[in-house]
Amino acid sequence: MQVTIDGNSVEVSSETTVLEAIRSLGGDVPTLCFDQRQAPFGACRVCLVGVEGAPGPIPACTTPCRDGMTIDTEDATARRVVKAVVELVLSELPDPPAEHTELAVVARGLGVGEPRWTGRRHEVRHDQRHPYLAFQHELCISCGRCVRACDEVQGAFALTATGRGFDANVAAGLDAGFRNSTCVSCGACADTCPTDAIIEITLLQMSDVP
Amino acid sequence: MSRNLVELVRRQHTVQAPTALQVLKAAMDARGEITDEDRRLAAEASGLPEAAVYGVSTFYDDLRAPRGRRHIRVCTGTACWAATADAHVDSVRDGLGLTLGERSEDGSVSLAETVCLGFCHSSPAIRDGDRIDAGPGAVERLLGGTTADAAEPEWISVLEEPVLTRPGDWSGLARALAELEPEQLLAEVKDANARGRGGAGFPAGQKWEFTRASPGEQKFIVANGDEGDPGSYIDKYLIERNPMLLLEGMALAGYAVGAEHGFVLVRSEYPHSKPILEAAAAQARELGWLGEDIAGSGFDFDVTVLEGGGSYVVGEETALLACVEGLRGTVSARPPFPAQKGLFGMPTVVNNTETLINVPFIARNGAPAYRDLSPGGSPGTKLICFNERFARPGVYEVRFGTSMRELCEDLAGGLIDGHEIKALQIGGPLGGILPASRLDVGFDFDALKAEGCMVGHGGIVAFDERTDIRALARHLLRFGAHESCGKCFPCRIGLTRAYEMFGAEQPVERARLEPLLETLELASLCAHGSGMPAPIRSLVAHFPDELGLI
Repeated sequence: MQVTIDGNSVEVSSETTVLEAIRSLGGDVPTLCFDQRQAPFGACRVCLVGVEGAPGPIPACTTPCRDGMTIDTEDATARRVVKAVVELVLSELPDPPAEHTELAVVARGLGVGEPRWTGRRHEVRHDQRHPYLAFQHELCISCGRCVRACDEVQGAFALTATGRGFDANVAAGLDAGFRNSTCVSCGACADTCPTDAIIEITLLQMSDVP
Repeated sequence: MSRNLVELVRRQHTVQAPTALQVLKAAMDARGEITDEDRRLAAEASGLPEAAVYGVSTFYDDLRAPRGRRHIRVCTGTACWAATADAHVDSVRDGLGLTLGERSEDGSVSLAETVCLGFCHSSPAIRDGDRIDAGPGAVERLLGGTTADAAEPEWISVLEEPVLTRPGDWSGLARALAELEPEQLLAEVKDANARGRGGAGFPAGQKWEFTRASPGEQKFIVANGDEGDPGSYIDKYLIERNPMLLLEGMALAGYAVGAEHGFVLVRSEYPHSKPILEAAAAQARELGWLGEDIAGSGFDFDVTVLEGGGSYVVGEETALLACVEGLRGTVSARPPFPAQKGLFGMPTVVNNTETLINVPFIARNGAPAYRDLSPGGSPGTKLICFNERFARPGVYEVRFGTSMRELCEDLAGGLIDGHEIKALQIGGPLGGILPASRLDVGFDFDALKAEGCMVGHGGIVAFDERTDIRALARHLLRFGAHESCGKCFPCRIGLTRAYEMFGAEQPVERARLEPLLETLELASLCAHGSGMPAPIRSLVAHFPDELGLI
């Protein structure tokens, strides 16, 4: 089947997602919960794009291509809404994300400034009981990448999403730290984390985080 | 939740292990709290990883608030709010000297909030253990230790021959098994154009067709009895008063799509639903309408009844399946749709319980008779219910197309004590709000949509002339933020921000409200986040001054 992305046509299979099709043409849209090693999750809504004839923007990562689809990665509504979503994410963090993080890169790319909406922020909670992995819970944006890395990539099932709504977060084992869980210290969670909520301890020591 | 976890759960299900949610609920019922030891035992029994069990234990309301020997749950649903503006919550809190979610130091008593107990016809409602008291004096009786079971009004059909309130007698299944091939039954349901009654209004026949066409070793029917809409008690009535008709509808769905097993998820807020439905299923087995080789047809079908754990979003179909699997009740992106990959990764029909009780009529009388039930309106009939503000609150079976004015004034008798309707919320918390000036609109899918409202699940909550509109916005958004499953970013953060905007003393800036509502509507993963702006938009359109907008 064929889809058109920003005016360029490409042949794709019925299994191809819109995001894969966009990237196959060398294009890109920002993502936060997507990691190509994992099944698409559809949580962050930052990969929204416009599709001709659709009632509103669609998430590129979880939407399969349909024959004849016309995709606009610069759709004004999608860009406006995505920017607002990233603003909301920044509004829940006690401090702006470190500049090198994926979240900061995405925010810069979209030109996101001070969030228009402010209020409650995540409570600061650090866990440094593990010799190699440190967890700064307040930086967690519940993208689920660490949980899926642990489960789908490593098969250790040491992590879980916790709570719900604004209080959603992540825990290892019974929330008694990585050491008291089935963690095998592989570091896949830290590797995929887009905010440095989970970080390898050597990196932590090099940074200014207390 | 990942696909590996679902596969793990499927394997455990085949060896009939209990789900993590079931084990944790039992621990809570037995000891009033959940310890790490309970979580380890639940992991062992369910086969889930400990971390996943921990995640479950932090998701559901029923597993979070510790319970004393006397556990009191005060209803904070919209009907109770319309009755008292939350004064009953304050009275109970002050009277017990406990905050919501707190247990007394000696462990004798605990207080939690619950949304909603389904006694919207006689608010405020309070649950003391498994006894539900409601209406005037309920707070005083609770504090005086004399809680009494609240009465429930009979349900009434406006039809000479009721369809949904007629006790199930298995005549539809009898006819289908004797005279119709599964494909013919499916064609009949499609031809009847029965639309889903849970809120989205999706044609049931199409869901069935997709499920029938999907390849899978097994297929399942899941009845969605998780009617969480504050202000609605329709599913409660149909499950507790007409369980046979529901079981018959499920069996018919199983026959049409090739499924041999069904699950019903009922709400834990309705403590009588599960035992009543289980007793009906046992009776149906004795009568030979459930089990193997039903009526000598070679068709096997049986049903398992499960109870939820206190979560509104579990009414969304993918979250519902996660809850049936005993996992965190979070929403999954579609596709894949449940018809392709549903329960345990198998093709699954998920229908609202009310949708399913329409099917026996179609099977017995055919599609044309069904379409004729509401002349000039959508096919079939609908159950609706009214809140305590009305003179004759209760559950009614009505025809589509009847005007809201007729329903509110002729059927429900207008408001009590000479009060006047200021506005109605129709179809649940994601439904728009209709001001009194628009009551002549017909109760039907398209007519209500044109007013920014919806049929939804059919709950009708009246707010009288004294209602503080800004406080109503705050009430609705508090519920929305509390019930967000936390999966998608716009809903997880955006509903809290919207609540905060209306919670503060300052005026709400339109320039900040509008983009927030748009983001929720267009970017949310499911109808919870995308639907919560609807009632707020209604309030903005009809009551801008009272909302304090600038």
